[in-house]
Amino acid sequence: MSSIVLQQAINGIVVGSLYVLVALGLTLIYGVLVQINFAHADIVTLGAFAAYGVTHLLSGNYLAGIAAALGLGAALGWLINAGIFVPLRERGSELLPLIATIGVSIMLQNAMLALLGPIPYAFDTPYSNQVIRLGTLFLTVQNVLIILVSGVSIALLYGFMKFTFLGKALRAVSQDRETAGLMGINPGHLIMLTFVIASALAGLSGAMLGPVLVLTPFAGTSVIVKAFAIVIIGGFGNVEGTILAGLLVGLIESYTTQFLDPGLIDIVVFALLLLTLAVRPTGLIAERREENV
Amino acid sequence: MSKTSPNAAAQSRERRVWYLIAAVIVAALPLFVTDSYWRTNLIVCALNILLAIGLDFVLGYAGQLNLGQSAFYGLGAYSSTLLVLKLGLPFWAAFAIGTLMAGAAGALLSFFAVRLRGHYLAIASLGFAVIIYQILLNWISLTQGPLGIYGIAPPPTVAFPGLPQIAFGDLRNLFYLTAGFTLIVYVLLDQMVHSPIGETLTAIREDEVSAASLGIDGPKWKAFAFAVSSAAAGAAGCFYAPLVGTLVPDAFFVSESFMILAMVIVGGMGTLVGPVFGAVLLTILPEFLRSLGDMRLIIYGASVTLAVLFMPGGIVEAFHLLRHRLFPEGEMR
Repeated sequence: MSSIVLQQAINGIVVGSLYVLVALGLTLIYGVLVQINFAHADIVTLGAFAAYGVTHLLSGNYLAGIAAALGLGAALGWLINAGIFVPLRERGSELLPLIATIGVSIMLQNAMLALLGPIPYAFDTPYSNQVIRLGTLFLTVQNVLIILVSGVSIALLYGFMKFTFLGKALRAVSQDRETAGLMGINPGHLIMLTFVIASALAGLSGAMLGPVLVLTPFAGTSVIVKAFAIVIIGGFGNVEGTILAGLLVGLIESYTTQFLDPGLIDIVVFALLLLTLAVRPTGLIAERREENV
Repeated sequence: MSKTSPNAAAQSRERRVWYLIAAVIVAALPLFVTDSYWRTNLIVCALNILLAIGLDFVLGYAGQLNLGQSAFYGLGAYSSTLLVLKLGLPFWAAFAIGTLMAGAAGALLSFFAVRLRGHYLAIASLGFAVIIYQILLNWISLTQGPLGIYGIAPPPTVAFPGLPQIAFGDLRNLFYLTAGFTLIVYVLLDQMVHSPIGETLTAIREDEVSAASLGIDGPKWKAFAFAVSSAAAGAAGCFYAPLVGTLVPDAFFVSESFMILAMVIVGGMGTLVGPVFGAVLLTILPEFLRSLGDMRLIIYGASVTLAVLFMPGGIVEAFHLLRHRLFPEGEMR
């Protein structure tokens, strides 16, 4: 029994750490721009397919696939910011960019559906079948890789935000864009940088999620709705809260699968979301961002 | 105050003329469209108009982004069908209860709209839509889950003594029923948005704090707007079930909310006539693009993005611009 609990804890952390990567991208963009990129989901999916394609083309070099997904994500982030968010910025509406990216998402999903079809792809990496045993527990090397890559990415991002000049500038822009501009920071450049980083993270998590998910053109949607729940439970724009909430949702998912029913995962997660919104709308870790609450 | 000005009286008269023209179009359409495939499309059009004007009431007028319209649509469809199948209720009783249930769920969701704005509300309503979809999918003993409910009968035949019977298995009659109902809802909403109710809702949309300082009870009016909007979606769902004859949860996935949103945006948010054009265009256009297969949904997505980027007022704005180009002196009012 206790080994089942532990085993599911590992599975939960594996999936949860990938959700954290997706959710961090959303929350970073929200932090600097107070906008939501709905097509973030499709960057995850495209990252998964890019990794799949490159891995199979290069006869099983999964690491090259991950790099390709990272690059594709960064490029898409640049494109979506330049094409949608920059032109809409002066309108100052919080809903128009969201709606425009919903359109982008419908476009990308159906373009993938036309090219790749609705049948799930079997994405096996060379690491999926190598199992490490720890007593009664077991982990695939893929799982270890996921925890390592997401752990390192999260740590790098955290360090970047806290300790580098650029990271501080980013936080300055998210606190007060105009004052940051007066201090000689170019908010436009930093917003672009944020989009590129956030979308690269989304592509990366797609590459890592591809072998775990049912890989179809709609794979990202199931991830992104959970990522939305995570950023709200964690508090929008709050990095620590997002990490905590992401791991929490991963654990909820694996325990719901084990002890209740896999069909109930979304119901449990979103019930928690609505409960958070009703009781503590600023998220688990409160931050002063009252304008939406 | 503006109600009594002569200009407002003229506009109100003009609106009544348009209602009459719309009624004539509804009455005449089945005379020209005799093919059952296109008659079915016309009914789908009427239901989409109902969904879109409902969403626009809460989004365009009260300024609340509700991504839960698919859930209210599904609630209406499933609750009315199950009330008929499991409890043996007559269709029209089930229709009334299904519509009210969807409206009540909308009022319930507005509890979140009272505390949240903008993005938070969008995600809360999206979460609500995901929960409803998952319940429809997983409560198999009630909804039969992904297998779906089959063989749903059309609304019962209406028979008044001395008059010919009206059977709704006939697509022409079902069109008159759904389009007539949609037209009535349109007229009601149009009267509402041109009354002090509409001014109250736009005041909340523009600045909630100032509205409150004028004595407007924001939470109450938001609950009202949500209830009206979701009841319209619920009613559309009650008609959807007997039209298609089959209910599966996938018809009410969150992407359906985005489709309805697309109709409102492409048509012109914040005008009631805009979503009508948007719904007609985005329902009928894909039928002509059917040969393109998956391309039609790509065009769907592109039209939303392009509309937001270049024509945020939608078809209505395009029409106004065109009219200005053609009649620069403004002789058309």
